[in-house]
Amino acid sequence: MQITLQNFTKKFDDVTVIENMNLEIKDGEMLALLGPSGCGKSTTLFAICGIHRVNGGKILFGDQDVSDLPSQKRNVGVVFQSYALYPHMNAYENIAFPLKVRKDKPADIKRQVHEIAKLTHIEELLERKPGQLSGGQQQRVALARALIRKPDVLLLDEPLANLDAKLRLEMRSEIRRIQLETGITAILVTHDQVEAMSMCDRIALMHDGKIVQLDKPSEMYNNPANKFVADFLGNPPITFLDAEHKDKTLLLPNGHSIASPNLNAAVKKVQVGIRPECFGPQFGMGVKGVVKFIEKQGREELFDIQLTDGSILRSIQASGSDLEVGADIDWGLSLDDLLFFDMQGERL
Amino acid sequence: MKNFNWLALGFLAPALIVITVFFLAPVILTGIFSFTSMSTSTGVTGGEYLLNQSGIRALADKGLNTATLDQLKNAGYVVDEKGLAALAERHGVATATEMRKLHENGQFSSRRDMERALKSLKANKIRSTKDRKAAAELFKHSLLNERFPTESKFRTAITEGGIPLEDHELIVTQAYTGWVWTVDNVKLLFSLPSTLRYAGNTLIYVTLTLMFNIGFGLFLAISTFYLPAKSASTFRAIWFLPRILPPVMYVLLWKWLTWDTGFIATTLSWIGVAPINWMLDTSTHAWVVVVLINGSFGASLGMILFSSAIKAIPSSILYASEVDGANRWQQVRYIILPHLRWPILFITSYQTLSLLTSFEHILLSTEGGPGRATEVWSLAAYHIALDNYGGNLQYGLGATFAVALVIIGIIASLFYLRFFNFNEMVAKPKIEG
Repeated sequence: MQITLQNFTKKFDDVTVIENMNLEIKDGEMLALLGPSGCGKSTTLFAICGIHRVNGGKILFGDQDVSDLPSQKRNVGVVFQSYALYPHMNAYENIAFPLKVRKDKPADIKRQVHEIAKLTHIEELLERKPGQLSGGQQQRVALARALIRKPDVLLLDEPLANLDAKLRLEMRSEIRRIQLETGITAILVTHDQVEAMSMCDRIALMHDGKIVQLDKPSEMYNNPANKFVADFLGNPPITFLDAEHKDKTLLLPNGHSIASPNLNAAVKKVQVGIRPECFGPQFGMGVKGVVKFIEKQGREELFDIQLTDGSILRSIQASGSDLEVGADIDWGLSLDDLLFFDMQGERL
Repeated sequence: MKNFNWLALGFLAPALIVITVFFLAPVILTGIFSFTSMSTSTGVTGGEYLLNQSGIRALADKGLNTATLDQLKNAGYVVDEKGLAALAERHGVATATEMRKLHENGQFSSRRDMERALKSLKANKIRSTKDRKAAAELFKHSLLNERFPTESKFRTAITEGGIPLEDHELIVTQAYTGWVWTVDNVKLLFSLPSTLRYAGNTLIYVTLTLMFNIGFGLFLAISTFYLPAKSASTFRAIWFLPRILPPVMYVLLWKWLTWDTGFIATTLSWIGVAPINWMLDTSTHAWVVVVLINGSFGASLGMILFSSAIKAIPSSILYASEVDGANRWQQVRYIILPHLRWPILFITSYQTLSLLTSFEHILLSTEGGPGRATEVWSLAAYHIALDNYGGNLQYGLGATFAVALVIIGIIASLFYLRFFNFNEMVAKPKIEG
């Protein structure tokens, strides 16, 4: 079902957390609400599921305005960060709870619970209490409970934050598989760009209660709307150099000059965003510096390079170089992949 | 005793002394008293030897033969100082002096012998037979109503009185006025019909009050949980009043409410209901009032405990239940109540034990009445031992009642520990982080 937020506003006492937010989630789409802590992404999620009341604007499920409905009356499924399983009920009772309070027939409940348990691969765990389940298993139970009512929208609040790295990887694809199999509309709240990029059809990147950019993951990475987006996406993160714009060339602070793309001649100062993969020996020479730090990550190595003027650039390269800290380097830039921003951080 | 820490003992000493003097000693003494016949009439120190009319009756009940009983009442005639003084008063000093000269310390077992001795007076004859008979009575010696400070003196006296040796033990035991070691209290406890009544009353009292306590405490905790924080704390504060009010004041308010000229009676009289004492009119009235007084007092504890337990439920679980479609009632029924399991069990066991032993509110309100309708076990123990209408405070029997209560309390706690699986209650939660 299509979910629409129209001029959605949320206040806590006198503090406006979100103002006039507009967002449309397409039917069957999985959308990520991505952003740093405090950007309002969980608040948005809680407003959609009805735990928080809306202070302004509308929330539509399909054509129905649910803004004033309590969460009991909205057909939503939520997976909480802590899973919020009922500790006194076993997995079966947890999953059956939404149907039980709806007073479905026991036979129906049993059939549906087993169906959903099959989908989430927890058929053999149904007798266990949450305390006897691992994190990943609890996650699956929570997912099953959220899906059992066939909700209009599935809301996932940092669902992977409490899992260890390996399980996170596994559950990432599991959640996506289940979402695709059920064809449910889903909203994933996360601060982890990798989760957002790997699981979702589209990402809404939020900052200070506003959606900064709404785009496909690859598009957002390659084509950030502003400096915040460029900075937030990408690991290791992008680095910025201030450059002078004169006569169709950009003069970097270390004295190196590069040909500027078609920038407006009126712009005198430019911030050049250089992703770590756009800087290295494979791109020629001209940028001189000293290796300040090497982080070996196994398959790749991350370098912090101090340029002659003191500014730092990051570079990521396949393992195997025999460089050491203190070594002098002379590398080049991948000119086509550079990102240009004005001094206010807007994309040029 | 390697590594014995004297410093630790030094720091513990005050606590140990306090525990010993104020806790252990009373408990042990109660246990000891329960095996004595201590009462107001025996005193708590030693006693004397004294046979009185009721003692004679008790001996008759215990099967002492009539001949011996007669002998006790009428042990013979002795010419002693007391008798001589009485003789001097009635017949002149000269008569007495002569009597002393002739028969000082003379003993006569029958009145005829005594009269013969009186006849033998030469210088101061008592002429009339009637007077002589009366004079003989003056020397009559009885064991009745005479105090003997020690057992040996009493034994000497009954031996001289010609009491057969085989009856001595019985008589000595009966005549002793001090307390003795005995298990009669326990026998009495099991044979008195009132014991059953007190036990029944206690069962009613504990069960009803407990139900009210927990039910009302739960109601307050859950209803205030859904109120805005400010009004919730106001409500809780109001229901906490009974606990911070001095019990006498608190019960006085109830009395004022229920007197036949009190609030309820006055208000109802406006709509034509004849005024009655709403506390003591019938035993049903009394029970309702007793349960309400103790229940309102106890509910505040449950309310505080349940409230904090509800607040300890992770908010995400409550959110989850709302999102899952549970309405308020279903949220209470399926989420909140199961989370309150341990607090409810704790309050149940704690309140059972304290209700078993606490009687101050009943004492101050109905005092066990009307009749003995609301006389619970602990109040009965108090009445028997310390505040008896008859005036004979039976410390020993009262202590036995108290000890029985302690035993019931211990059994109840063991039952609760086992039934509620205390180990599981204090076990570490299984869910990590």
